[in-house]
Amino acid sequence: MADSITPNAISTIIQNPSPDSSSEAPQIVVQVVDLKPVGNRFTFNASDGKMKLKATLPSNMSSEINLGDLQNLGLIRILDYTLNVLPKTQEKCLIVTKCEVVTTALKIEIGNDVKEEAGIVLKPKNEVGIILKPKQEVVAKSANEILHEQHGNTAPAARMAMTRRVNPLVSLNPYQGNWTIKVRVTNKGTLRSYKNARGEGHVFNVELTDEDGTQIQATMFKEAAEKFYNKFEMGKVYYISRGLLKVANKQFKTVQNDYEMTLNENSEVEEVKGEVTSIPEAKFTFVPIDQLGPYVNGRELVDVIGVVQSVSQSLSIRRKSNNDTIPKRDITIADESKKTVVVSLWNDLATGVGQELLDIADSFPVVAIKSLKVGDFQGVSLSALSRSIVLVNPELPESKKLSSWYNSEGRGASMDSVGSGVISASPKNGLRSMYSDRVSLSHITSNPSLGENKPEYFSVKACVSYIKPDQAMWYRACKQCNKKVTEAIGSGYWCEGCQKNDEECSLRYIMVMKVSDPTGETWLSVFNEQAEKIIGCTADELDKMKQDGDGSSYQLKLKEATWVTHLFRVTVKQNEYMSEKRQRIAVGAQSSIDFVAESRFLLEEISKL
Amino acid sequence: MDTSKPAVFVNAELLPMYVGRKVRAVVQVLQSDGVAIKGKSTDDRSLIIKGSLPPFPLSNFVEVIGIVDTNNSIQAEIVTDFGEKFDASTYNRLCQLANGEYKSLFL
Repeated sequence: MADSITPNAISTIIQNPSPDSSSEAPQIVVQVVDLKPVGNRFTFNASDGKMKLKATLPSNMSSEINLGDLQNLGLIRILDYTLNVLPKTQEKCLIVTKCEVVTTALKIEIGNDVKEEAGIVLKPKNEVGIILKPKQEVVAKSANEILHEQHGNTAPAARMAMTRRVNPLVSLNPYQGNWTIKVRVTNKGTLRSYKNARGEGHVFNVELTDEDGTQIQATMFKEAAEKFYNKFEMGKVYYISRGLLKVANKQFKTVQNDYEMTLNENSEVEEVKGEVTSIPEAKFTFVPIDQLGPYVNGRELVDVIGVVQSVSQSLSIRRKSNNDTIPKRDITIADESKKTVVVSLWNDLATGVGQELLDIADSFPVVAIKSLKVGDFQGVSLSALSRSIVLVNPELPESKKLSSWYNSEGRGASMDSVGSGVISASPKNGLRSMYSDRVSLSHITSNPSLGENKPEYFSVKACVSYIKPDQAMWYRACKQCNKKVTEAIGSGYWCEGCQKNDEECSLRYIMVMKVSDPTGETWLSVFNEQAEKIIGCTADELDKMKQDGDGSSYQLKLKEATWVTHLFRVTVKQNEYMSEKRQRIAVGAQSSIDFVAESRFLLEEISKL
Repeated sequence: MDTSKPAVFVNAELLPMYVGRKVRAVVQVLQSDGVAIKGKSTDDRSLIIKGSLPPFPLSNFVEVIGIVDTNNSIQAEIVTDFGEKFDASTYNRLCQLANGEYKSLFL
C-alpha cells in the first residue's frame, strides 16, 4: 500500500498549505503527470487519481529525472512541501521541497475509473540498479503518451519508424522549451565578427524552413557560432533542439515569423540522413511585377518570377567605399502583368547564374529569385543581395504557367517597364509620384545649394520651350548593354563593356531641353526613354529625318515637341565644372498630363492656401 | 440682354442667385427634343435649357451660355458639345470657388 497513491492526496495538501515540520507532513504519495522541463528544473501536475495540482520539483530531483529514475507517470512520496498561490492567476501551486521516488513510471495515468488493483502495473525498475536505457527511448516513452493524447491512436508502424518527435515550426514559442524541429537550411549567412561594449565575438545566422514551409531565422553567437558554422550546410536538413525563442526584432526581420531563434552551446544540431524530401527547398511568395510599386525603397524583401527577356553583359562596378570592383549583370524579366523590371545581380550571382542565363537567353528561360531589394532606379528596380537565391526554370507551378503564357501571348506583346510614367495616389508608400514634392521651377533655380550633398527629388509641371536643333542629341550605344561605343579601327563599333565589336550600333538620346513654367525657366537633361516620349520618335528615326533632304521634317518634329506641357520627375544634383559648382537637373521620369488627376491635385493645393 | 459682364460659372445651387444674368453651366443631357434640353447639373440637380436647339446625344456633356430664366432654367444662347468625357466634380468645385472665395478673379 505504501507503493500506491495516497487517496485524496491533493485535497489534503490544499487543506494544509504549509506543514510545520516533517513529522506532521503526512508523507503523501502522488503520481507525476505532464512532467516537463523548464530551464533546469521540472514542473508537473501532481495527481491523486481524482484531482490534479500544478507543482514543481526541487532541483535536486532534476538529475534523477535526467537519469531516468523518475519519469512521467511515476510516483513520488512528498516529504516536504509548500503550497503557493500564483499572484497573477490565483492558481494554487505545489512547491515540493523534499521528496523521494516511489515508482519510476507507471504505465498509465491513474484516474477515477481505474480500480486500484487492476490499474497499477508496476514496472520492475523502481530500484537504483536500473539498466540505464539510452536517453532516446526515455524521451520516446513519455512522448508516446503525449502523442496519444494529442493525436489519438498513432499507427504502431509509424511510431516505430519515428525515432524523434518533431514539432512544427509554427508551434514554437518562448514558453515551451522542450521541442525538436526538423528543418532545412534555406539560407546561410556569413560568419561575421563584431565588437561591442560587452566584448567581441563572431555571429552568423541561418534561415530554416520546415515541412509546412514555415520559416524562422536562427542566430548563433561566439562559441555557438564557431561550433555550428561548419555544421550547418546550405540545403541540408537537421534536427534542432534546445534553442531559445524570442520575439523577432521587426527592424531586422527577414522571414515571416513573429519569433526568432538563438542557438547556444547547449543547443543540439544533428544532421538528418535519409528522409529529407518532405521539406521544401525554398519557399517563395511571388509579387507580380506590376505590384512592386508599394515595396520601393522599403525594407521588405520580395520574391519574383518572370521570363528572362534580356541579359546584359557582365559589367564592373567600382564600390565607392573601398574602391573594390564588383561584377554586375542586369537581367530584364517580364510576367503576366505585362510589365518588365530590371534585376541587378552582383558578384557570384552575376558571374555564375548570370552567365548561365546569358547563354540560354534565347530560350527565354523562367527565373525565380528570392529576397530582392526594391529600389527606385527608373521608377522600380530590383537588386540581389548575398542572401538572394536564383532558380532557373524551377519546378514550380508558377514557372509552368509563365512559360505557357509567354509562348502564347507574352512573346509578341509589347510591354512597359513597371517604373515608367508612374503615377500613384499616395506618396506614403514610398513610390515617388508626379504629385508628391511638387515644386515650381523657380524653387529649384533660386536655390543653388539644392542637391549639394545628396541628390534631391522633385516633381514639376513644365512646358518644353526650346530644343536646340544643333546640339549633340545622342550617343552611339552598344546594342546589348547600351554603353557608349567607339568607332573601331576598320569598320564597326567597339564596346568596352561587352569587349566585342559590332557592325551596328543604336543611337540613344542624351540631350538638354529648355522648359518653362509660370515661375521661370531652366534646362533639363533628358535621357533616352523620356526623350523618345517627348519628341515622339527614336533617336535613330530622328537622325534619319535630319539626314533626309533639307532636314525640314527634322525641324518640324522638334517644333511639334515644343510648347507641350509634361509632368517630370527630376533629380537635382551639384556638378563641378571648371572649378565652378553648377546645378544640374535631370529627368528621371516623364508623363503627360492627366487633366482630371491634375485638377484634383490643384484643387487640393487651393484648399491648402 | 446683359452682355457687359462675363458669364458666371454656375451649378444648380448657384443658379437662383443670377436670375436675369448671363451664366454658363455644364449639364449632362438627359432629354433633348427640339424645344428644350433637360440636363443634369454638375451638382446632380435637374435644369431646363430653353431655346430651339439641335438635338444633342444623350448623356453627353454640353456647356450652356445664356440668361437665367427661373430658378432652374436657362434661356440658351450658345450651346457647345463637350463630349462624353467630362469630370463633373472638378467643374462643380470650380463653380463653388468662382462664386466664393475667388469671386474677384472671375467677375
